[in-house]
Order: sequence, then C-alpha cells, then structure tokens
Amino acid sequence: MQTNAMMQRRKFLILSSMLGLSPYIQAKELSTFEKEFKEVESVIAAVQAHLFPEGSKIPSAVSMNVTQFLFETLIHKSYDKDIRAFVIEGAQELKSREEGRFTTMSHTDKEIALRAYEETNYGSNWIARIMTLTMEGIFSDPIYGSNIKEAGWKALNAFGGQPRPKTRYIGL
Amino acid sequence: MYDVVIIGSGASGGAVAYTLCKAGYKVAVLEKGRLIKRDEFSKDELSYARRDLVTPNLFDEYHTIEEKVNGKWEATPTYDSGMSFWNGNIVGGSSNLMSGMVHRLHPDDFRLKSKYGNIEGANVVDWPISYEDLEPYYDLTEELVGISGKFKTHKYEPPRSRKNFTQPPTQENAVVNLLDKSCRALGITPLVTPRAILSQDKGHRDACYYSNFCGSYGCSSGAKGSSREALLQPALATGNLTLLTNSHVKSLHTSIQDKIDYAIVVDTITRREKKIKAKLFVVAAQAHESARLLLNSANRYHPNGLANSSGELGKNLLFSGGGSGQGELHKESLKEIHFNDLMTTGLFVNRSILDWYFIDHWWDGKFKGGSVEFMFEHQNIISRARKNNYHNGKLVWGKDLGDRLNKRFKEQKSIRFEIFNDWLPNDNCFVSLDKTHKDKYGMAVGKLRLEGHPQDIKVGKYIAKKCEKILEEMGAKNIYSSVSSAASQNLVAGGCRFGNDPKTSVLNKYCQAHDVPNLYVADASFMPTGGSVAYTWTIYANAFRVAEHIVQHLKKI
Repeated sequence: MQTNAMMQRRKFLILSSMLGLSPYIQAKELSTFEKEFKEVESVIAAVQAHLFPEGSKIPSAVSMNVTQFLFETLIHKSYDKDIRAFVIEGAQELKSREEGRFTTMSHTDKEIALRAYEETNYGSNWIARIMTLTMEGIFSDPIYGSNIKEAGWKALNAFGGQPRPKTRYIGL
Repeated sequence: MYDVVIIGSGASGGAVAYTLCKAGYKVAVLEKGRLIKRDEFSKDELSYARRDLVTPNLFDEYHTIEEKVNGKWEATPTYDSGMSFWNGNIVGGSSNLMSGMVHRLHPDDFRLKSKYGNIEGANVVDWPISYEDLEPYYDLTEELVGISGKFKTHKYEPPRSRKNFTQPPTQENAVVNLLDKSCRALGITPLVTPRAILSQDKGHRDACYYSNFCGSYGCSSGAKGSSREALLQPALATGNLTLLTNSHVKSLHTSIQDKIDYAIVVDTITRREKKIKAKLFVVAAQAHESARLLLNSANRYHPNGLANSSGELGKNLLFSGGGSGQGELHKESLKEIHFNDLMTTGLFVNRSILDWYFIDHWWDGKFKGGSVEFMFEHQNIISRARKNNYHNGKLVWGKDLGDRLNKRFKEQKSIRFEIFNDWLPNDNCFVSLDKTHKDKYGMAVGKLRLEGHPQDIKVGKYIAKKCEKILEEMGAKNIYSSVSSAASQNLVAGGCRFGNDPKTSVLNKYCQAHDVPNLYVADASFMPTGGSVAYTWTIYANAFRVAEHIVQHLKKI
C-alpha cells in the first residue's frame, strides 16, 4: 500500500535547501557528470567511510568498494537524473562549507561537520541518500561490484534469493 | 487480419488469449513491455525492487495526479512525485510480480447497494451479474492458474462448487502456530490463505521452491500463477497466438460509428507505427490505462472517447481501501515457537481473516468491513537495512548502525498485516486525459484524481485496531499500523463500469462496449464496486467468463 503523502520531489530538494545552492537542479550530461564526480569523489568516499567505519558489525565502506559502486550506480540509465545531480551538489556543498578540509579532518571533526550538515534539511537528505547508495552496494548482489564475497549478507545472516542475477540490471 | 487483438498480456489478457486460442481462433496479444522468460528472472533486489526496470521510466511515461490545493484541483506529474502507477510492463504484466494471496468476492459484493443501501457521497450500484454467474470461472481459475489452499467453512467464505482446492497449501512457517493460537484466544478465526502459487508440480510448471523473495519478483520455477506461465505459454503452444512485445497501442480506429477496424500500434524500440486489424478488440491494459486508451481514441463518431456515450468512461475508478500494520517478534520474548523456526526463510505465513468482512454489531453498527492478510515483512535486504535508522530524529551511523542492523536481522523478525476494504466509488476518483502532458508517443497522459471516501478510512481503522490486538497477543513489540486514503498503486479497478443501462454504464454484462459491439474490456475496469479482497482472482475469473462470450460472438461472425 502506498502511504507517502504526495510530495513534489524537485520542490522538496530545492526548497528544503537553506544554503543558496543553484536555483534549480539541472540534469547534466554524463560526461559533465563524470568530471564533476571526480572533483567530489574523495569527499563522498570520506563520508561513506565515516558512516560505515572499520570495526563495525557490518562491513566497512573501504573494504566494500562502495564509492566505485556509487559511481557506477549513478551513471546507469536506470538511476534518477535529479538524484544523480543532487548527490554531486550535496557533496560540493559539504566540501565548500568545510572549506575543502573535510577529507583531512579527524574522526571527531568529521562527526561534528556531518552532524552540523544534518541540521539542515538539505544536508540531512543528502547524507540519507549517501547512506542508501552505500547500503545498496553492501547489501545487493555481488555482481554489482560491492558486497565482496557476500560479506554484507554474511554479516546480517541474510542472503539474496536463488537464482542470483547473471547480469547487472537484467541486462539492460 | 486476426480474429481478435488483445491489448495487454496480464491476467485478463492471458485468460482471454488462452480461451480463444484453445477454441481455435487466431489471436494477437500486444504487450508494450518485453518478454522476460522464466529462466531470465532472478532475485536481484536492485533491479526488481529499487529501479524502474520492469515499468517505464517516469521521465518517459507518466501520469499526472490531481490534488486539491487551496480548494482548487492541481495536477502534478508522477516524475515529480515519484508515485508510479505502472505495474509490471512485461509479458504477463503484474501477475508476474504478485504475492499471489487471492480470495473470491463474497456474494453480497455483487449487491452492495441492495444490501447496505446508499452511502452519501459514494456511487454504489449493484452488479448486473451475481456470484453464481461468476462461480464456475472462479473454479476454472483455481484449476488452470493453480490456486493452492485448504477450505474451511466460515460464515463469510463464499460457497464453492468444488469441495476443496486441487493443491494443498504451500508450506508454512512455524509462526502460524503462534498466530493461530493468538487468534483463537481472541475468538478470531484464522483461515488458510488461498494462494496462486503451486505447492505441487503441474504440467510444465514446477512447485514452489520457497525462495524467500516472492512478491515483486518473477518466479523461477513457474509455481506462481502468472498469466505468462499459466495461460500464455499453453496458448502459444496451440499455434494460434501471436505475441507481439514492445508494441504499444496508441489508439483504436473506427471508420464507421460502431466498429473498430484497426489498432494504431507503435513499436517502442523503432518508434515505427503500424495498423493491426482484427474482427474483435479486447482491451486489457489495466483499469486506468484501458480507460485512457479509449479516451485517446476519440474521433468524430466518438467525440468524448470511444464507447463513452454514457459519459462514464474513466469514472468511478477504484483502488483498495485499508492499510497495513506491523510488529516485531523478539528472540528474548518469543513464546510458543522456537526462534530458529521463526527465522527459517522462505516459508509462507498463509493466514487470512474474514471475520470482519461484514460488521453487524450492537455497538459498532452495521457496515461493510474487509479482509486481512498476514505475512512477514518483505525480506528484501536493502530495504530492511535502510528502514527506521533514526534515533531522536537523527540518522544512526557508524558502529551504532552496525549494532542496530545486527539486532534487527538476527534477533527479531517482523510480522505484518494488510487490510483490504472497499474503496467506495465516488465523483472525485477518476481518470481523464491531461490536456498539457503527453507521453513519448505524443498521446495525452492519464490524469488521475484519487480522492477516497471517508468511510474507507473508518473501516480500515476499525479493522487495524483488531489486528493490532492479535499482534499484541502474539507478544510482538513496537506495533504500529497505518491506514490512509492514499490510492494503492498496484490495485486498480473500475473506470468502465458494466451494467444493463447504456446511459449509466460503459460495458454490458459481458464486458462488451454498449456503443461499439466489437470492443470488449476484459480487465478490472468493469467493476462498479471493488469488494474487500485483492482483485486478481476476480480479474482472472471474469476474463474467462468474458472469453466464453467472445467465443460465442465469434461463431456468429
């Protein structure tokens, strides 16, 4: 059953921003996307590593190749182009509000920075999106390049059903 | 030229194709999606449950949804809202992806107005046929599609011509012992859910193998009673069926007043258009899309849409009232059954409650109620991991997240209930054509106005309270339920009411258009009221009934 109230996604993404970002989110060409992604890749990777650290009861971001998974997920045609742009812009914003230092911060400072970012609706949505994209890697079939040796599934004792996919995205 | 062209390959299209092909007629089924064969299906959560790979991308094809804002109706495209009203656009339609929990309607569902009278603000009418007219086809569906179950007499179980199901129920998780005991302690009668899933091999289809990932996924043994496995495959074997995939019908063409001569079909890959001719046309595209196709087929003979002299086309669209609820069974407080048995994967819960199908209570009053299904929370791993990761309004991450997920997956299992009650037909629930938005083929998209009737929520809440009591009795923790007037995107009916009066209905009692005799609408569009169970079994049964009439019609041509 559908339970969500009607919500206009674009308005939600944009109006919840209190940060003076671009007035509208443009769906950008893939080549532009790749270039922009490279510029914020280290920020996204650092956020993923902070949310999914070593020593947890679930596999760490670093061990599960999740940043590459995130990139490959975003460029696939099945992925929502608005959210693709949102992932980049949210990372640019984090990079900018921490004056380019986020990746080199201590664990404690990263926690403070992310909790502060979470205080804004925009930041909270963005962090939640990064969490979803990371979990999609760690807990989807290993064919997608993360969940290496089913480590994510083993950690939760929950395994994908049979038969398993032989191709990504039903070959599309 | 075909004898019959069927638009849509889901439950109803499959039932009509099967019957006509077996009777020796040449049939073309036009499906806008592609064919995914049994051995191509997998349990790929990312593909089937998290991306639009078996439904159109909403930026390409969408609906608009009307919402009342400051007293005015405003339409929002679904690419903005994210609410998809597509359901399984592949060969076999959404019957590939169902969970297969099915029930027959009750005889009183066919005469709701006579039974309960008028309800203010609702357009309730009696059906032009009775349960007895449909019963033989419910029975036929049980056999051909394959419905497993175990009949038990109950005051609200409709009568059956066959004593028991041809297949025993699918295997059940030990949780049913706890659920049954808890229901009985509350004076509630649990019933075994009839399920369109084979518990035993049947012809070319193998029994269920309990994959743990059933609903939302295609079946890899053929056990699920999809139109593709149960009906289209045998129809293809007759040599009489031409299955045309990636074939979207833009409109139906009438060159004279009362006869369709061809369908205008676009190849969804090459975008080439062609005309496909037939003696008869059967629309089976799912209720809201069937009405849209007829509205988009307006011409000088039918200025308000094909077969719409009544003005009823697209009106009285139905969804399903009700909602759902859930509770957690925790390892440390589990009673009656062993935790390891609870955690066994793949086995079904298979329990329904019909005790509140009709309410006649000294205090609560007399009104139409609904049915309830019990099931485990969907076992999708990503969605379960992603759920409820907030604490005091803050996202949980880091090692705390690892601890939380570990507990959720290893020390508890969630059981849920879903309530199905009538979505009362009303003036603010219909599909029309959007005047601004067009799909990628240049045709007006369907504009859906989706207001529910207040009675639907009242009934849903009444039943939800009773179901919460069952979960409490089971010892479940963190129980909650949610009943809303939001339209169920996967349960759609109405829009082409059948009836005896051409002035107030689109179809006659055989689901043949009053205005255009070589047009039939075979899907759930015909339903004037929806009943209080999922539509699937009724869609199959009615389509078999309609198909038998079409055979008689063809004999006369």
